[in-house]
Amino acid sequence: MAIDKIQSESINLADNFAFTGTVTGAGESNTPAFEVRLSANQTLSDATATKAQFNTEDFDTDSAYDNSSNYRFTVPSGKAGKYFFYTCIIGGNSSGGTTDYINVYFYKNGSSQGRLHPRGYNHAQMTYSTTYTKSFDLSVGDYIEIYVLVDTTSGTPVIMSGSDLRSSFGGYRVKS
Amino acid sequence: MANLSTKIKMYCDANGVSEVDFMKNVMLQDDSDGKGAYIKEWNLDIAQPTDAQLSAQETAANTEEANNQVRSTRKAAYGDIGEQLDEIYKDIDAWKARIKSIKDTNPKG
Repeated sequence: MAIDKIQSESINLADNFAFTGTVTGAGESNTPAFEVRLSANQTLSDATATKAQFNTEDFDTDSAYDNSSNYRFTVPSGKAGKYFFYTCIIGGNSSGGTTDYINVYFYKNGSSQGRLHPRGYNHAQMTYSTTYTKSFDLSVGDYIEIYVLVDTTSGTPVIMSGSDLRSSFGGYRVKS
Repeated sequence: MANLSTKIKMYCDANGVSEVDFMKNVMLQDDSDGKGAYIKEWNLDIAQPTDAQLSAQETAANTEEANNQVRSTRKAAYGDIGEQLDEIYKDIDAWKARIKSIKDTNPKG
């Protein structure tokens, strides 16, 4: 007989429960969810916070990420809530020059919400790899973008991406 | 075409500012909309340059960027400073000849 409702006082929280069926209706679906990446290196202007153009979608449950023109995640209708985002950025230069540092920014509705600033001890590494995570309470229509700044002394600044080095951006709704 | 950051450095240097911090003094941004990099914030005491003033720095900025590439190439060719000290200790004339060869092969503009 299916149990329609369990009263809290009837459950011994110290007991073990070994379910063999499927529990449904518990928690949330954690969608929208998406993960995108660059298909190739993106060339930047030196020392300039530049919007990352993640153009390849690995998944995008609600088609909420624009991978062809604005390169942003926009909260769809009925999907407001708390979101968790992450980005992995490999920044450096493509021509063997010197990279002093990189900055990675989360932008919400066109404004910076903070930056990560990895910087090497000798300030002259060729590439920097970093992962930045952040949570936001978002309303319908709010949008999130990633900006990257690469400061080089010489060479061509790039966000790196290819078959094995993959700069990426993803996120999902934690709760409504 | 030279980077906007290089032209700003050249403009600042010509106006008495030798160091520019692109996280505090001047913020540059590019919205990837095809319009290119622009000055988002200018926090230096000297006046923000006009487009014409920045364009006037184009040639000097191109030279500076080319020279920076030469410096980077030379630095890589010089090698580890510890190894160079060993070279100097063993045969300073041979070391000088090697350094000269690198400089001659990679001239600045």
